[in-house]
Amino acid sequence: MAERLKAAVIGAGVNGLVAAAALARGGCEVTVIERGAAPGGMMALGLFARGPHPAALEALGLKPGALGPAIPTVALCPSGRHVLVEGAEARFADGSAHPGAERWRVLSRRLDRFAAALAPLLTGAPPPMRLRAEGLPGLLRFALRLRLLGARDMRELLRIGLSNAADLAADALPEGPLAGLLAFDSVLGSRAGPMAPGTVVPLLLRRAPLRRMEGLAARLAAASEGKGARLRLGAGAARILFEDDRAHGVLLDDGERVEADLVLSSLGAAQTLALAGPALFDIEAQRRIGAIRAQGAAARVDLDFAAPPRLPGLDPAHHGARLVLAPSVQAVEPAYDPVKYGRLPALPVMEGRIDGARLSLTVQCVPHDAPRDRIVAATLAALETVAPGLGGEVRHAGALSPADIEAMTGAPGGHWHHGEIALDQFLTLRPANGMARHAMGPPGLFLCGAGAHPGGDVTGLPGLNGARAALEAMR
Amino acid sequence: MSQARSYDAIIAGGGHNGLTAGAYLARAGLSVLVVERSDIVGGAAVSRELEPGWTYSNCSYVCSLLRPEVARDLDLARHGLQVIPYTGGASFTKGGEYFAYHHDQRALEREIARLSPRDVEGYERFARAVTRQCRFVRPLLLRSAPDPASFHPRDLGELLFLLRRLHDLGEREMGEAVRFWTASVGDFLDGFIEHPLIKAHLAGSGIIGTGLGVYSPGTAYVLLHHYMGDLDGAIGAWGFARGGMGAVSAALAGALRAAGGEIRVNAEVERILVKDGAAAGVVLKGGEEIRAPLVASNMDAKRTFLGCVEPGALPDDFLDAVRRFRIRGSSAKLNIALDGPPVFPAVKGEAPFLSGDLHASESLLELEAAYDDWKEGRFSAAPYFDMLIPSRIDPTMAPPGAHMASIFVQYAPYDLARDGVRDPAHWDEAAREGLKAAVLDKIEAVSPGFRGLIRHSELRAPVDIEREVGLSEGNIFQGELTFDQLLFNRPVPGWARHRSPLPGLWLVGSSAHPGGGVMAAAGANAAREILRDMKRGGRDEAAFRAA
Ligand SMILES: Cc1cc2nc3c(=O)[nH]c(=O)nc-3n(C[C@H](O)[C@H](O)[C@H](O)COP(=O)(O)OP(=O)(O)OC[C@H]3O[C@@H](n4cnc5c(N)ncnc54)[C@H](O)[C@@H]3O)c2cc1C
Ligand SMILES: Cc1cc2nc3c(=O)[nH]c(=O)nc-3n(C[C@H](O)[C@H](O)[C@H](O)COP(=O)(O)OP(=O)(O)OC[C@H]3O[C@@H](n4cnc5c(N)ncnc54)[C@H](O)[C@@H]3O)c2cc1C
Repeated sequence: MAERLKAAVIGAGVNGLVAAAALARGGCEVTVIERGAAPGGMMALGLFARGPHPAALEALGLKPGALGPAIPTVALCPSGRHVLVEGAEARFADGSAHPGAERWRVLSRRLDRFAAALAPLLTGAPPPMRLRAEGLPGLLRFALRLRLLGARDMRELLRIGLSNAADLAADALPEGPLAGLLAFDSVLGSRAGPMAPGTVVPLLLRRAPLRRMEGLAARLAAASEGKGARLRLGAGAARILFEDDRAHGVLLDDGERVEADLVLSSLGAAQTLALAGPALFDIEAQRRIGAIRAQGAAARVDLDFAAPPRLPGLDPAHHGARLVLAPSVQAVEPAYDPVKYGRLPALPVMEGRIDGARLSLTVQCVPHDAPRDRIVAATLAALETVAPGLGGEVRHAGALSPADIEAMTGAPGGHWHHGEIALDQFLTLRPANGMARHAMGPPGLFLCGAGAHPGGDVTGLPGLNGARAALEAMR
Repeated sequence: MSQARSYDAIIAGGGHNGLTAGAYLARAGLSVLVVERSDIVGGAAVSRELEPGWTYSNCSYVCSLLRPEVARDLDLARHGLQVIPYTGGASFTKGGEYFAYHHDQRALEREIARLSPRDVEGYERFARAVTRQCRFVRPLLLRSAPDPASFHPRDLGELLFLLRRLHDLGEREMGEAVRFWTASVGDFLDGFIEHPLIKAHLAGSGIIGTGLGVYSPGTAYVLLHHYMGDLDGAIGAWGFARGGMGAVSAALAGALRAAGGEIRVNAEVERILVKDGAAAGVVLKGGEEIRAPLVASNMDAKRTFLGCVEPGALPDDFLDAVRRFRIRGSSAKLNIALDGPPVFPAVKGEAPFLSGDLHASESLLELEAAYDDWKEGRFSAAPYFDMLIPSRIDPTMAPPGAHMASIFVQYAPYDLARDGVRDPAHWDEAAREGLKAAVLDKIEAVSPGFRGLIRHSELRAPVDIEREVGLSEGNIFQGELTFDQLLFNRPVPGWARHRSPLPGLWLVGSSAHPGGGVMAAAGANAAREILRDMKRGGRDEAAFRAA
């Protein structure tokens, strides 16, 4: 029997780890090359995870139940009448009924049905542009599920899938924190406002319950190692090596060479191209990679207080919940506008969590290289709308701009998804036309990070799909 | 009271699409009456004399989208339509620089090279991409949109046609087509061209009439929609209808009358008559009833279904869907009678491109900022404008030596915000003067002395366009051209084929596929659907098939 196939995976973020596990399960000898001292990548910046996706968990040999309990969301309102949201259920945080609860429930159920119909497109190769074998099963399953929705729902999905979150909210919900929450989730991590066409898509990808992110990276890394992957921490990939025009291994920063028949990169397409060198890519491919939009707009902010911070109207019992400050659609859209001109919004929108005396936040929309003190100041200005005087109690504040995040993790532009999630960068066009089936350029090289289909968040799906494409190609 | 007259078909609204549909139906042998609220037909395609000696194309002002198949079928040339192409355009900067667009390939290359040699190749790729996409989309304009949720053989057939055409593009181009349909015009241009002024010049077509910014996904398609014109075979070529846009409507009215159709102006439809669960005619303002088993509405979807059909005659979920249909006002129009020719000092002497579309927006971000104002309920502080001076090549538009400027302005909201409240009533004199000043300031900066030439001017805010033409919110396309409102989604998913849940009531205006512009496609498509429904296909059907 021939030797076992060797695979090198670049990056030990969620997608690198899932890809490695799937490759190991597929019979490969896998080395994961991680520049950082610990695995996890951008998971270290995240507060809440909806994943990994059950298919990715299966590759890792983990059970969905093992992820811990789902946590609720509290949509904060300057009036103090915060709204507690648990999946399709919504009520005021004080327990009283919310007038929009029934509409929220109807909309949530509808989005759940649509998400289920979309699911087959996400857990495999994106639909093919030509009728070819690889993408066909997913496409047919999608078509079938679409039909099973019934004519009415199917038409509605085809409409709202192309529509925008602001209109969806306006049609389905009263303006206020619930509508604001919907708008926030539609653009979280993106450089877009909810009025931009295509923003309903992220909502359909974000239907799973939320859990805390803590400890997840370590568990995923352990599971991946458990499947046989070897983690090589502390040295980055310096070059992807080729022999006879096919991928042959990876040269590390410290001079070590990792030989491999398959190289999977969880970095962005542009970063991968830089590691591979342009010689093996045609000019059109280089141009398309160069045109991928990946400018991060999410910042991480941590605020430390002497004691657990108090937000009027918020029961300390909800400190562990996801707090979202996006009081209306009308508040989310203008938070996006200034970033187009490189400015910070006066009142950014954000999600966060209180852990003891610390309030940790992901803040939108922040220009790529915004100064940290300005990010903190804008964050506090927004928080003061729900907790007047909070700013004065801050003992210590830290912030990471998208530029900081890019420097730390290597993520393109520090972008949450390694590349904007928009209809022209989705499915068959992700990361770019001609590269969506995870193979990139010369044989043996594949993409498996958030920049690839179907995009970011802690799902592990790009990793899983990338590994499957690579294994498929070796058959 | 005189006895109620009856016809085979009544067209409610004499816009260019209503006239087109009416002409096709009359030619197929139906007795047709067009009832128009205004004192002239044409809707947003009219010419009026507001200052003696000057002809204003008050709303639409340039002609090219008009489907040549319709012009041929209805013999519009014989009915007096003459389109004079113009061959260029220009964008000026405050700093005295300009970019001139030429339809002549060589001249255009030289001009691009003058500003940015690296963009010559990029522009060539851009032009090729646009041309390919136009070739792909154009044949869809005169076909009905398939309903992907239907098993009807015709829907399956149209769906197959669409998929086959996509497939024929080849894998790479198919991806590019999808990208084109979903990208923003700004991102799309960024992929080809570097020079900000050239990009700004080209991006304008992506936002005209649209409540979206240059960086909003979907605006690349709007650009495509505006490039669909083909005068003399040149894609994206534009021209003037001699005598103003009213000439298009006059020719269509001529074709309608020649086929035996009748037109009544100053006849406003108040209600669509419903008898036994089907449309049965119209009731005019004043109470007159006119009977017909078929009513084709040229009004937009909201005006038709929410305004003119009695409650209960249409199902609730359909009405909800009509309410969700987005018709947003975002454009204004400034028409000006000038005592002499405006001068652009950046250009030495006479240049043919001055007879084309003139702009003064310098970058994509400037255009995007104009959109941000609109989102917040303000008219743009630095609006995008598209100015044409048709009198430079059409002497019928103004007295000798004098000129007429037709200035399309983007963006102006329908419900202007004031103190946090949005209300169309805020369009008072001060607001109008404010918008006019914002536009004239920009023009004056690139054409000093322009203000001094003004003899008479007319500003049409979205409310005015709504009031005068009946376009809801003043939306020039009778509904946003966003991709959730195109093809099978236009105007309402499941009802994209001009029909409505009320038997006998049809939609023939721009609210239907393929949307707005003086294209005559919606009217022609609707007529075909109606005739097919009546099994009266005949010759015109064959003509469509050949097209
Ligand atoms: C501020 C912020 C908050 C977020 N919060 C959440 C959240 O709450 N919930 C959620 O679901 N998602 C969140 N995300 C998004 C989510 O973290 C990412 O989409 C996801 O983690 C991407 O995983 P990945 O494996 O594709 O890439 P990454 O996590 O970026 O992993 C790439 C890895 O490659 C390594 N690397 C880079 N260059 C090299 C090299 N040359 N050689 C070797 N290794 C290299 C990096 O160190 C990194 O470990 C957040 C993102 C940001 C920016
Ligand atoms: C300012 C402006 C500039 C434009 N510029 C251009 C351009 O340069 N080139 C281009 O191709 N397109 C342009 N357009 C778009 C184009 O003019 C329109 O999309 C197109 O004319 C719409 O035609 P239609 O027949 O579908 O509808 P409409 O023209 O809206 O026709 C509807 C008709 O119904 C009538 N009506 C309404 N209510 C009633 C009633 N109750 N009873 C009886 N009749 C009624 C109206 O009076 C009108 O005549 C412009 C539009 C505007 C507003």
